[in-house]
Amino acid sequence: MKNVLLALALVLGGCEAPTVFPGFDKRQNLSLGRIEGQVIVNSTARGRIILFLYDATRPPPPLGTGRPLTFTVVSSEAVFGAAIEGDSGPFTAPFAFSLVAPGRYLIRGFVDANADFIPWYGVTADTTEGDVGGAAIDPTTRASRIVEVGVDEAGNPVPALDVPVSFADSARLPIDRPIFSVVGGMSSVTLSGTPVVIELQATPIDEGVMTQPTPAFLVRFLDDDGDGVPDDANGDGIPEVWPRVVVRKVQQEGSPLLDENDLDKNGVVDATGVDYEHAAAASDGLPDVVVLAAGFNVAEYASQLVDGTTGRVKTTPTAVPRLKLVLQPRAFDASTPAGPQPLKAVPIGRYAITVIQQTGQTWRVPNELGLEVPGLPLVPSQGFVVQVQ
Amino acid sequence: MSSCNRRVRALFAAALLLLPALALADARVEARRHFKTGMALIADGKLDAGISELLEAYSVRPHPNVLFNIARAYEAGGRPAEALTFYNRYLDAKPPDADKVREVALRLEAQLPRKVAEPDEVKKPTERAPQVDEATVKRLDALAERLERAVEKAEARAEASAPGEQKAATSAASEEDFGVPYEETVVAASRRAQATLDAPNAITVITGDEIRASGLTSLADILRRVPGAEVMTMGLGSANVSFRGFNQRIANKVLLLLDGRPEYQDFLGVTLWSVLPVGLEEIERVEVIRGPGSALYGANAMLGVVNIITRAPGTGAPSEFNGLAGNANLAGGSFVASGGDKVRFRASVGYQQGDKYSRDYAQARPDVRSNIDDPNLGLRTARANLTAFYAFNKDFSVALSGGVNRTFTELYALGLLRNYYLDGTGGYAKADLTAGPVKFRFFWNHANFDAGPQYEPLGQRSLTTSVDTNVFDGEALFQKELSLAGTHVVAIGLSARLKRVKWGYIGPLTEELHAAAFVQDEWRIIKPLTLIASYRIDRHPLLDNGKPGYAQSPRVSVVVRPFESHAFRASFATAFRQPTFLESYMDIRTPVPTVNGASVLTQGNRALKPERLISFELGYRGELPRLGLTIDLTGYWNIVSDLIGLSAVNPVNPADAFDSASNSFLLGRSLFSNDGQNYTARGAELGLTWNATKGLDLRASAALQSVVANAQNGVEYAGVCGPCTQAPAAKVNAGFIYRTPVNVDLSADFSFVSQTTWVEREPSPSDPTQIANLQNKLDPYVVVNARVAYRLFHDKVTVAVVGSQLGPNHQEHPFGNSVNRRVFAQLTVQP
Repeated sequence: MKNVLLALALVLGGCEAPTVFPGFDKRQNLSLGRIEGQVIVNSTARGRIILFLYDATRPPPPLGTGRPLTFTVVSSEAVFGAAIEGDSGPFTAPFAFSLVAPGRYLIRGFVDANADFIPWYGVTADTTEGDVGGAAIDPTTRASRIVEVGVDEAGNPVPALDVPVSFADSARLPIDRPIFSVVGGMSSVTLSGTPVVIELQATPIDEGVMTQPTPAFLVRFLDDDGDGVPDDANGDGIPEVWPRVVVRKVQQEGSPLLDENDLDKNGVVDATGVDYEHAAAASDGLPDVVVLAAGFNVAEYASQLVDGTTGRVKTTPTAVPRLKLVLQPRAFDASTPAGPQPLKAVPIGRYAITVIQQTGQTWRVPNELGLEVPGLPLVPSQGFVVQVQ
Repeated sequence: MSSCNRRVRALFAAALLLLPALALADARVEARRHFKTGMALIADGKLDAGISELLEAYSVRPHPNVLFNIARAYEAGGRPAEALTFYNRYLDAKPPDADKVREVALRLEAQLPRKVAEPDEVKKPTERAPQVDEATVKRLDALAERLERAVEKAEARAEASAPGEQKAATSAASEEDFGVPYEETVVAASRRAQATLDAPNAITVITGDEIRASGLTSLADILRRVPGAEVMTMGLGSANVSFRGFNQRIANKVLLLLDGRPEYQDFLGVTLWSVLPVGLEEIERVEVIRGPGSALYGANAMLGVVNIITRAPGTGAPSEFNGLAGNANLAGGSFVASGGDKVRFRASVGYQQGDKYSRDYAQARPDVRSNIDDPNLGLRTARANLTAFYAFNKDFSVALSGGVNRTFTELYALGLLRNYYLDGTGGYAKADLTAGPVKFRFFWNHANFDAGPQYEPLGQRSLTTSVDTNVFDGEALFQKELSLAGTHVVAIGLSARLKRVKWGYIGPLTEELHAAAFVQDEWRIIKPLTLIASYRIDRHPLLDNGKPGYAQSPRVSVVVRPFESHAFRASFATAFRQPTFLESYMDIRTPVPTVNGASVLTQGNRALKPERLISFELGYRGELPRLGLTIDLTGYWNIVSDLIGLSAVNPVNPADAFDSASNSFLLGRSLFSNDGQNYTARGAELGLTWNATKGLDLRASAALQSVVANAQNGVEYAGVCGPCTQAPAAKVNAGFIYRTPVNVDLSADFSFVSQTTWVEREPSPSDPTQIANLQNKLDPYVVVNARVAYRLFHDKVTVAVVGSQLGPNHQEHPFGNSVNRRVFAQLTVQP
């Protein structure tokens, strides 16, 4: 009896805290951290600040083709308050990325001076003329900073706090995105056994939510080794230039806005998908990122890209309205960007062209403007695709 | 007082004093069994044995009509003296037929010789047994003297155990107190007292005795014993209740009434089952209508009505203390006082608290913060209530009541939202006026809460809010019995309700004015056959595509009682649920998890149609009092349409993509809309109660159901049918109450709910901007509750140990707590 009473007393007197039980909710089963810091703006530009978080291994253009993992917004009121026009600050405001998994990240952002950024469409999800770029940088070296959400000894995420993200007028974008259409009014071009040359024309679009009246291609030779001579890293005899171009295969059926083997649009190759036979070996059993061999031929602008006095390549780009794009009947699996593997044959299907400026601005065709997307203007030229037969 | 009367009263007193030893599980059931047995014996000519059974019934639970029946039996048996005694006792109760009975008494007096007409002499056993010697008479007189001193005390205790009826015997009583003794009566089914057998709906009654014997602290847990009930415990203070399928987070298709006043929270369309202004110990009985009730109660009585009837003011124990303490910081206490003479009252205060069953997140996480001071707290409620009653005369009376409840509780919200807290105050004031055949009721319901997600990601915009709601309601109800090709009981009602809600989630102060009228005729065509026809029309300010419109709720039922204690029932009914303020006016931006710069716009829709139910029901109810057995068998066929839910997240116009109010980009808009799909729910429910032997009540119920999505234009439904997979196919409940002769009470109940699959909205783990319905399979689960109690000092003190949720830990919804064991001690004192 005494034991029973003792047990009862223990049960009744128990004041243990409720157990943690996350249930079926996916989010509640995650153990995440966060990133917090301050935006620091030295600019006369005004507008809300858009901050993007990237996987450090997949940087955004122009360094890579990574897509943001998430984004956040800092209101103009929070940053600039009632600052007078022309005041370049510095202005500060806090920001946060919530629910961030442990890992290494890059933070990029911009002051959306035109208030024309909309994240849900490719044609509106980028910077435009007048926006002021920014990034999380090392305050000492001014180099891009990798922000880490770590893990402590107990396995719990450690938040990254007090991360500064700087914006300055020196990073103000001089031009709109490289919006283009293919000269000739074609809806597609067919690539078979021989190279095809098409010409891209910078195309202003100023309708509805699309207010980009001054697109152009910012062209310059690459001179990463600083020797004043255009680089030819791949040894094909054609100097590399900015802008860059990627011609990637899109999904076989359905919307041409989805790349093959990246149907969730996260910029990461899907776990399962289409696999093609490689030139060097049989198929590797993994989904491929199929890109065509393609590049701009800037011969007609060569003289403008070199300093007439020194003969060295110019370090500043030259804005041009047209560019010739050479499409080769060769394809690669670029799932490993550093070492694309040639494919045995060029996969049949549709391909999209993406132009990447040195500023990091991009434009892709086909895009939403070539389809009938409610609320967006319909621009038929933006439905262009490269067909491989 | 004469010695004879003293002796008779002493005999009653002796029986009453034996109450603790003759422990009874459910006094009414026990008394009914004795009564029916006694009447059968009398009919067989076994007068003394029959009257002995009637006296036993009276000792279990006093009822004036038992006295009347004893008197009639004596009269028929040619024993006018005894008959006169019991007629006089019956007249003490001021019955409605007093004049007629008084005439009978006078006639009997005239039959008696003068000396035996003296009341003191009438009941002397020696008159019927002259062979008893003087010594025996003296011993009986001495015994009577001794017992007489205990009479008042004993009857007081009897009053406590059977407050309604005993009070009726000593003061002005309502007509229902003089109905068939111990017959189970309900008021919810027809807005007037009637036998359960006559009710046009499937109905289950849970008595106050049952509630107290269960020891449970949550009304929702007690409702598990109702056949077909679906009780979904999300947290300690958060439960969702439905009948016959269609349960959900924020269950909104069952109407909870507390003494006729709705506890339905109109702003959200939810019932806070754990937050009532009265304690469970104040409940006289709970009547549960399983099935549509809109024909009488209008909106929201779609799948069922739970009508709580509290003890009448001035009845029951003059005072009662309750206290409990258990694990997980479970603690509480209450005090109830009841009394008065001309003005009768019942006042109560109470407090209860307890920790959550489980927490969604640990403390001090780097990603999520708790918005409440004590993240362990699941429920805390402090309440006070006062009810007073005054009868000017037999026809005119007034009842006033008011209560307040300071509450912290949980609520699991809709869509992407999860566990919310509600922290605030609710209250009400109510007046009931009876003027002959017309009853007026006015009430004001008020709630003022701070609310918000219990947990939110650090750095994310908060969704905390506040709500202030006031509901003003007035109703007039006219009831009249008349004869026209049979007997009619006609009820006509008119009501109006003004709702005012100020809530951060819907914008500025919003008002709605509702009105309704209803009529019902219970037409007893011939003796075994009753036709009940009801019709109600509700005016709602938005029902006609955003403009004022009407919802009509007809009901037709046929009740046939071919044999005594057996009733067959067939009914056709419709019901509806009106859009809530949440569904009509909501306008919030829900942050997309992990994407601080994005929100989902969730909006109400003023063009919603009401949810509709068409129901066909067949039922049988049999009450076999001599066996102590009650059988309730029901089959139903429900067609449910226009269910209101959140639409998929659809893109907003790009020009409207940025929302300056939330400083975020709108991923899309989810709009409350009517489901174009119809559903058919079919099922059968069986409920059995068996008063097996003295002190032992057994109870069992089972419900089987199937919910399917109907084919549209000949095309089978191809999607994932949430309402179909979320409805458990089988529910079983069984339990017992045993009041042993040694003052120990035992009770236990067991519930089983079969497997379900819940379709719930969640962001895709890989891409939070993709929001989709995910399927979550929930295993079957078992709920076990038990209580052991010991009664001391003639039942004045009861100590008990209660275990709830004694079965394996389980979830009753994919996002709900891990429901686990609660063990607590209870103390009840009735000085």
